[in-house]
Amino acid sequence: MLYPLLWLVAASLKPENQIFGTLGLWPSDFQWSNYTKGWEALPVSFTVFYRNSAIVTILSVLGNLFSCSFAAYAFARLEFTGRRLFFGLMMMTLMIPYHVVLIPQYVMFLKLGWVDTYLPLVVPRFLASDGFFIFLMVQFFRQIPRELDEAAMIDGCSTFKIYWAVILPLSLPALATSAIFSMIWVWEDFLAPLIYLNDIKNYTVPLALRLFVDHEAESAFGQMFAMSVLSLVPVVIFFVAFQKLIVRGIATSGMK
Amino acid sequence: MAISRRKFLATTGGVALAAGLPSLPALAQDRSIRHFWWGNPDRDRRTFDVIEVFEKNHEGISVSGETIGWGDYWTKMATQTAGRNMADLVQMDYRFLFEYVRRGALQELDPFIGNGLDLSNFDKGPLSGGMVDGKLYALNIGSNSQVFVYNTKVFEDAGITTDVINWTWDDFANVCKTITEKTGGKIKGSDDCSVVLETCECWIRQNGRTFFGEEGDVIATPEDIAGYWQFWLDLRNAGALREKDKSLDANLPMSDVGVVSGDTAISNFWSNQIVGVQALMQDTVGAAMVPHKPDGEPGQFIKPSMFMSLSRDSKDPEAAIMYMNDWINDPEETKILGLERGIPANPEVRKALAPDFTPAEKVSVDYFNAIQDKVGPLPPPEPKGAGEVRDAFIRAGTDVVLGNAEPQQAAELFIDDAQAIIDRAR
Amino acid sequence: MKRLSARNASGYMFLTPWLLGFFLLAIGPILVSLYLSFTRYDMVGDPRWVGFDNYVYMFTRDRRFWKALEVTFHYVIFAVPLRLIMALGVAMLLDKGLKTIGLYRAIFYLPSLLGASIAIAILWRQLFAIDGVVNQVLAVFGIEGIGWITNPSTSIYTLVVLAIWQFGAPMLIFLAGLRGIPRDLYEAADIDGTSAFRKFYAITLPMLAPVIFFNLVLQIIEAFKVFSPAFIISNGTGGPADSMLVYTVYLFNEAFKFFRMGYASGLAWVLLVIIGTFTAIAFATSKYWVHYENERD
Repeated sequence: MLYPLLWLVAASLKPENQIFGTLGLWPSDFQWSNYTKGWEALPVSFTVFYRNSAIVTILSVLGNLFSCSFAAYAFARLEFTGRRLFFGLMMMTLMIPYHVVLIPQYVMFLKLGWVDTYLPLVVPRFLASDGFFIFLMVQFFRQIPRELDEAAMIDGCSTFKIYWAVILPLSLPALATSAIFSMIWVWEDFLAPLIYLNDIKNYTVPLALRLFVDHEAESAFGQMFAMSVLSLVPVVIFFVAFQKLIVRGIATSGMK
Repeated sequence: MAISRRKFLATTGGVALAAGLPSLPALAQDRSIRHFWWGNPDRDRRTFDVIEVFEKNHEGISVSGETIGWGDYWTKMATQTAGRNMADLVQMDYRFLFEYVRRGALQELDPFIGNGLDLSNFDKGPLSGGMVDGKLYALNIGSNSQVFVYNTKVFEDAGITTDVINWTWDDFANVCKTITEKTGGKIKGSDDCSVVLETCECWIRQNGRTFFGEEGDVIATPEDIAGYWQFWLDLRNAGALREKDKSLDANLPMSDVGVVSGDTAISNFWSNQIVGVQALMQDTVGAAMVPHKPDGEPGQFIKPSMFMSLSRDSKDPEAAIMYMNDWINDPEETKILGLERGIPANPEVRKALAPDFTPAEKVSVDYFNAIQDKVGPLPPPEPKGAGEVRDAFIRAGTDVVLGNAEPQQAAELFIDDAQAIIDRAR
Repeated sequence: MKRLSARNASGYMFLTPWLLGFFLLAIGPILVSLYLSFTRYDMVGDPRWVGFDNYVYMFTRDRRFWKALEVTFHYVIFAVPLRLIMALGVAMLLDKGLKTIGLYRAIFYLPSLLGASIAIAILWRQLFAIDGVVNQVLAVFGIEGIGWITNPSTSIYTLVVLAIWQFGAPMLIFLAGLRGIPRDLYEAADIDGTSAFRKFYAITLPMLAPVIFFNLVLQIIEAFKVFSPAFIISNGTGGPADSMLVYTVYLFNEAFKFFRMGYASGLAWVLLVIIGTFTAIAFATSKYWVHYENERD
């Protein structure tokens, strides 16, 4: 289960010529320099890449949580004309292979003058572009007892109040799950940054990791592994911090 | 109402914040060009250093350097091309050059020769590699040739003294068998090149043909290909080649190739890889030519390893050409670039670099000099669909290696396939 | 009438961000790709209308299209159920409520964090190499291994194993779902002396059905669209003898390697129809096994 991960950490500490061909985990001598040198190995320091990734990720997670929970609330709880049609269209956006909409999308963002900015990476997230989270939240919202809405309605609460004061607090596990996934996926995403970012100073961490790889020349594998390991650190921290919310177990039982 | 305002603020607030973040191109300079290349950490550093030198020498022109690894490079390039937003200067590979030229994505360079672009000191051979239909579309920024890299220590231990520049396929086979025998099979003679079209191409040329003819049709015969596969089949049956399972991938990472991992004594590479191979190995490497056929034609050729091209979308070709010109002529820049992208085609530049060569660089330059009069002309440009033919070759070769098909039968099928692919691409 | 419009108003209000995103950013590119599927488009020049040529070629003459479908179905059939079972099993174990559970959850999720990075590709090739760890373990049991990734008849299973190993995402969703099941249901069952097996069938499964349904649909969609692992582990080629040529790898190569964006768009729409069909089937059958708390429709 964990062997591959240990291998990765071990590889990040090995001298270049020992990474391959040897299966033993323990490096004969520890190359901590893979970390220090790797951090500064590219023309721009990893400090910059981390900052960029943090900006994109934080904005994207916020965007996803807000916009997707809005849409999910509408789909799960509100009756309106065209609900099924729109839900179907939303599912369709999940199914289409991304590579074929890449070019039309690129042309569109280019015309908007957004290429080489973070806008193409962030704005769609505020517009609920990721159906995965909508669908996920819909499934959880639908589990919440209807009597709660109805009681609130009778008390004169607006639909927004119900969303904010009833649905969201009861969906903490779903929101935490969405936050974790959206953090991880945005943090690790490299295709959109690859297409939309040109200036190396704007690169995100996963994109920077791709700069280590060359198909025909020597590659600094040790340093690449070291930086790969480091790139996991924020994700692990975020995971450990947020997974508590999933498990805290909402007091739904008390409500019934 | 409260909702939509809140939502509105959340959205626009995020947008406004995001919009301000990326460092937008500085407005101080009046002219700017973009240079896009595929790289690695070393190449990226050198190239950004060159950009700095250029900007220092040409006040008022700013250069935006854009880089990514090989695999991602072409995805991004295709996307930018489709969006008509190519960088002014793009790095080109021989394999893709014709695809891009024929589709009209690159600009002709002839009008700039002697008019901003000084090629008076440029070797004529390498220059012709960037020509398509008689016009120059791509400037060679490093030359290359096929090479069989060998482990000199294994050769010595096995007592091999064969002249590896002039050797024949029989010599090669004998060397492989001797090494396998002397090491008790621990180190095999060579990697199996059955799926390596580049080596097969040399074989075909030794038979007096090329793989693609002038018109882009497949003119290699099934016998050419079958003979090639048979040669490797015999060696494989003699136990002198790397095991089948490791011989089916024509795109192995450098670290997995036989000579690097220590499985074999000889592996095929491109000559600009010699330095990189050495960096991954403890033993010293040597450079051998692809074996010859007695009385055969020269099979190998010197090909440009990388080009620089001016794109269709360039908004300031004049500044772009200035950059290109300095790249090949400016002593300060060429010194920074060194041999990293291949052997420079400017003899002055080579002379200036010589004193600082590392041992591996010396191996590669010596090899390059030794093969000069043993190589043939550059093959005709590859037609559209050549990349796909290469994939088909790998598939067919795989069947032969695995013993699912006889060389002759597989070769006939492959040639039919290849021609069909070319026809479809037209 | 007034009530209907009021309901519509609040519905659309909440849907506004999504509607904006869909109509401003998503629908355009999607329709363009549909249009491109009826053209020859090399991405440099302009698209040229060819009618149904792409589709006709695909179904009548393109052997690799069928090969890609075969490989993909193979992957879906194995990867989806095995990954879901793994994820549900581990989620239930973790739900049992160990106190130090946070650490365990992180450990089980870690493999998924690696995604389909270059590191994973190198790692996987090493693990399943002829002299790799997998074979060394097999050797202990006296089984002689092969080069799993380089052998065309087994390479696809290395991708399946990778998919199972990276079960973190569905696991986490299962876990969130399990935590949502009211504890008093189990307590009541305990008082009645219900067996663990029976509790699983009578309480866990039905209560978890909406989440199982979600995971099932999403895993089907994702498995049909699987790209990165196959692409990276096979170095972008689709592996020996096309054995790892999953559909989207084929599509990607057609588009970006061979400049046939029109054809690739056609491939995408065929895949969309296939995925859509399976998803629709899942939705249709869900009436019979997925029940939502107090839901009327």
